[in-house]
Amino acid sequence: MQSNAALEYDYSIAKLFTYTTILFGFLGMLVGTLIAAQMAFPELNYLIGEYGTFSRLRPIHTNTVVFGFTVSGIFATWYYVGQRVLKVSMAESKFLMAIGKIHFWLYFVGALVATVSLLLGYSQSHEYAQYEWPIDIVIVLIWILWGISIFGIVGIRREKSLYISLWYYIACFLGVSMLYLFNNISVPTYFLTDGLGSVMHSVSMYSGTNDALVQWWYGHNAVAFGFTVPIVAMIYYFLPKESGQAIYSYKLSLLSFWGLMFVYLWAGSHHLLWSTVPDWMQTMGSAFSIVLILPSWGSAINMLLTMKGEWNQLTENPLIKFMVLASTFYMLSTLEGPIQAIKSVNAIAHFTDWIPGHVHDGVLGWVVFMIMSALFHMVPRMFKREIYSKKLIEVQFWIQTVAVVLYFTSMWIAGITQGMMWRAVDEYGNLMYSFIDTVTVLHPYYAIRALSGVLYLTGFLIFAYNMYKSMTSSKQLTEEPQFKTPMA
Amino acid sequence: MDIRELQGYASFFMTIFLVIMLYGYIIYLYRSEKRGDRDYEKYGNIALDDEVTSTPVEDKPASQRE
Amino acid sequence: MFHWLEKNPFFFSVAVFVVISFAGLIEIVPNFAEASRPLVGMKPRTVLQLAGKNVYVKDNCMSCHSQLIRPFKSETDRYGDYSLSGEYAYDRPFLWGSKRTGPDLHRIGNYRTTDWHENHMFNPSEIVPGSIMPAYKHQFTNLADIETAYAEAVTVKNVFNTPYADDLIGTRAGWDAYKPKVLAEAKAIADNMKNKDVKDAVANGEVPEIVAIIAYLNSLK
Repeated sequence: MQSNAALEYDYSIAKLFTYTTILFGFLGMLVGTLIAAQMAFPELNYLIGEYGTFSRLRPIHTNTVVFGFTVSGIFATWYYVGQRVLKVSMAESKFLMAIGKIHFWLYFVGALVATVSLLLGYSQSHEYAQYEWPIDIVIVLIWILWGISIFGIVGIRREKSLYISLWYYIACFLGVSMLYLFNNISVPTYFLTDGLGSVMHSVSMYSGTNDALVQWWYGHNAVAFGFTVPIVAMIYYFLPKESGQAIYSYKLSLLSFWGLMFVYLWAGSHHLLWSTVPDWMQTMGSAFSIVLILPSWGSAINMLLTMKGEWNQLTENPLIKFMVLASTFYMLSTLEGPIQAIKSVNAIAHFTDWIPGHVHDGVLGWVVFMIMSALFHMVPRMFKREIYSKKLIEVQFWIQTVAVVLYFTSMWIAGITQGMMWRAVDEYGNLMYSFIDTVTVLHPYYAIRALSGVLYLTGFLIFAYNMYKSMTSSKQLTEEPQFKTPMA
Repeated sequence: MDIRELQGYASFFMTIFLVIMLYGYIIYLYRSEKRGDRDYEKYGNIALDDEVTSTPVEDKPASQRE
Repeated sequence: MFHWLEKNPFFFSVAVFVVISFAGLIEIVPNFAEASRPLVGMKPRTVLQLAGKNVYVKDNCMSCHSQLIRPFKSETDRYGDYSLSGEYAYDRPFLWGSKRTGPDLHRIGNYRTTDWHENHMFNPSEIVPGSIMPAYKHQFTNLADIETAYAEAVTVKNVFNTPYADDLIGTRAGWDAYKPKVLAEAKAIADNMKNKDVKDAVANGEVPEIVAIIAYLNSLK
């Protein structure tokens, strides 16, 4: 297809991040399945001594899927999509290639060190920002390298207009930078005390209620700029490209972008309803959470309408199926979130399993499905081989879809059951249940959830096998497919 | 004026300002398309036709447009 | 006028940054001074309690336990008075948690004793049948890092003016002079415990993690 052999997109960095996406995806989901099983069968807490308890492993699960799997997926797709929508190859700049390589290796080594630090118990105890200060510094460096890579390649672009996916990648870069920096400001104790105690230890810059505010401003928006913004960037590129249909309304995509940017950041305080943060702030969080439905659904509906008149592709192409289901789960979870942010609903839902249920229908159904279909689309083009097996994709699709449904239904029931039991009173106004009653009743739901974890992990292993075969031994392609990804 | 009051005014006027900007943007998008200045929908093709050798949808620098 | 923003990556980034930082500026920053005021007469945690807090963080108790009693009758009946902002003024980090797989702990010091914690941490399901909490037997043998806790107290005193007494000095000599106070506090806890190894360790001038975390849990009132 290309007459000029010297000018080709360079996918070497994208390939490296593809490997880590699969590796960290597997590890993160493995730990997730283990801790889900621990809640149903507590004996599983003692497999590796003090390092194997639920409490020590939970941050490893969350951080591996967030900073391992998802961020790898973001980088992998960035190093693929970025070049293509700007119509410039990374190979045209030695500098950018070098930055890309340093970026990957620092990221990979950093991720391993960070995981070990959590296993050993070094933690700042901010959810999704547990890493202690030396690791934070490495993370900031990795992020700066990514920024250089983004703005570097934007600087030498041929396509002058920035495609909507790029807007989202840039927003992801800026948003995470701001949030991560402010939430992780801390004072290392070692240097201010003439070398007393552990070098790793630090105290948070903020205290009490302020710390909570900053943390959930971060926590909520890390979801925004890690699990929503870059994933929307992916679907705005991969769905049109895979289906051969341009975005239904490009103008709507621009409007949704600015809407999302403005509204999302206000909603963080819905994590702190009924807490000690000021009332007006809680109300603001609730209100903006509802408003947030608009820009979220703006993107999702835009995606579904892109397939207008082309729904036959849903039966013919399993990647389209993944992406359409991903948009649907995105709609589900962006509706569920605002419902939970209503103060009276939150009074029941907060602190219960409904919250992990909500997180997981978003993450398993939207984020992981989208990243997997992005990799399915990229790998044949990067390795110049077709996908090893369409049948395996179909099998994987159904196993994982059943797993997600089992996950969120069991957690909805568990959460609402427990929330209601906590507040149940008898005719004299006394509490009806002791706390432990509300735990033992959840056993069947925890068991179902563990089963759904096993199913999802199985699906992911099928995915990893299919990827491995597609990279190494499936039929070679003579030229790059334009739209639909070829598969055997 | 204490910081509370300042916060109230800042929040109020910034919100109004941003709402005006957003609506202005919507009007701008549709008007510029109606006038024929710009076809926003063609940018959707950036994703579809993305070979390194393909012609950019828009390759003139900003200063030379129109 | 907007088109220029769409094509110029620098101004585009600035615009995105302005739009996303707006919420934080309006919502969070102005409340800082107000929300960080401690309750009248509140004392910061002792060095041993801080060491216990660090064990709480290390074993990540907050993944299953909250420290935030919401203003509902069902919660005040179960856990005690609802939480006030000023009670957290010295907490770095805050440990409200986001999930109650186990009960809230914000006032656990009011209704559980050293003895209860000792037995419960060693084997939770023996004390509370049906409990799914893992046993934390390693806390009986691991030593708490009281030196780091001391460094933390000195740091918050110097940097954030947390009202600690003047005998906290950020030098090796300062720590050597202060250490007996921490050990005395640990001994008071260990006296109420039964585990022989823990008692021996404390007698030898060491502080097992379990002693520190019990000191911390007892201070949650």
